[in-house]
Amino acid sequence: MHIPDGYLPTAVCAAGYAIAVPVTAFALYKIRKEGDPREKIPKASLLTAAFFVASWIHIPVPPTSVHLILSGLMGSILGYFAFPAILIGLFLQAVMFGHGGLSTLGVNAIVIGLPALVAYHIFRLRTLFGEANRTGTGIFGFLASLCAIGISTGLFVVLLINFIPADMDADDERNAILALALGHVPLMFIEGAFTAFVTMFLLRVRPQMLIGI
Amino acid sequence: MKHSIIVLIFILAILYLPTTAYAHGAKIEYTVATNIEIVAKYDSGEPMAKAQVSIYAPDNPSTPWLTGTCDEEGRFSFTPDTSIPGTWDIQVRQAGHGDMIHITIDEGSVSGSSSSGYSTGQIIIMAVCVIWGILGTALFFKRRKA
Repeated sequence: MHIPDGYLPTAVCAAGYAIAVPVTAFALYKIRKEGDPREKIPKASLLTAAFFVASWIHIPVPPTSVHLILSGLMGSILGYFAFPAILIGLFLQAVMFGHGGLSTLGVNAIVIGLPALVAYHIFRLRTLFGEANRTGTGIFGFLASLCAIGISTGLFVVLLINFIPADMDADDERNAILALALGHVPLMFIEGAFTAFVTMFLLRVRPQMLIGI
Repeated sequence: MKHSIIVLIFILAILYLPTTAYAHGAKIEYTVATNIEIVAKYDSGEPMAKAQVSIYAPDNPSTPWLTGTCDEEGRFSFTPDTSIPGTWDIQVRQAGHGDMIHITIDEGSVSGSSSSGYSTGQIIIMAVCVIWGILGTALFFKRRKA
């Protein structure tokens, strides 16, 4: 899900940054409006750590394997904090592990970070059942992550298929991209179930972590 | 008359052609070529089966010198043109994943580096350092709040 350097044309990488910068600014503006941001930084830091190492957790989906992304979980628990947290996580993954790249940091932030904000808004719908409702929390936690991974995969496929490098065999590459996208369908359900589990667990042991989200 | 001359030339030509072919016998030439084999794997350890390879010669970094496909084990081998010394770029890509390595070829000597410059131990230490920093940040702000 991390697009590396040398895949997308320069114009697309620049466009990625051009979109990521105002989205980051908007997220920071929203965070500041919510009150003292320092209160939520410990939670955001811990989830950034989880996001940072999640890309090492590979789940075999024959014939390929996919890795955890956790963007839906970040959105559900962090709200607007998710976007800057994902940006920092992606930056560290790019410079430390070579997952993704610095030229594509903007594009990857959009592909993974924007769906996290969508997940946040889906997770908020649980308040229709009341904030303390376990079933509602589980269902909307599940849907939030399911949609986050689904949207990320969609954006990833659209970007890659439209900008297949000219020197590659386009048919082979298209098939490989679609095979990888198909591998993300089980991941949608895995991450959905994981987010449902984590949010329901938090609701029971530390319900204050989910208040106001 | 005219016909017989043509026939005669034709017969002479047939007789002549094989003699030129056999007169020199067999000849085998050889040159020592440097064969480069690459193995491409994802960082999960599984091979990049059927991944596409693009090789760029030092004199033309924009158009691939050779393109090909890895086998099921992620292997691909090729013989670079040693008359073009410099840094050759080898890019392996599949489904939005990929990497590039650089191999320097100078008058027969080949030196290069693997793209994954870190060992597992180094990666673990880097990950631990980053997480330590993140936990420190978390604890710092938790303390300020209290």
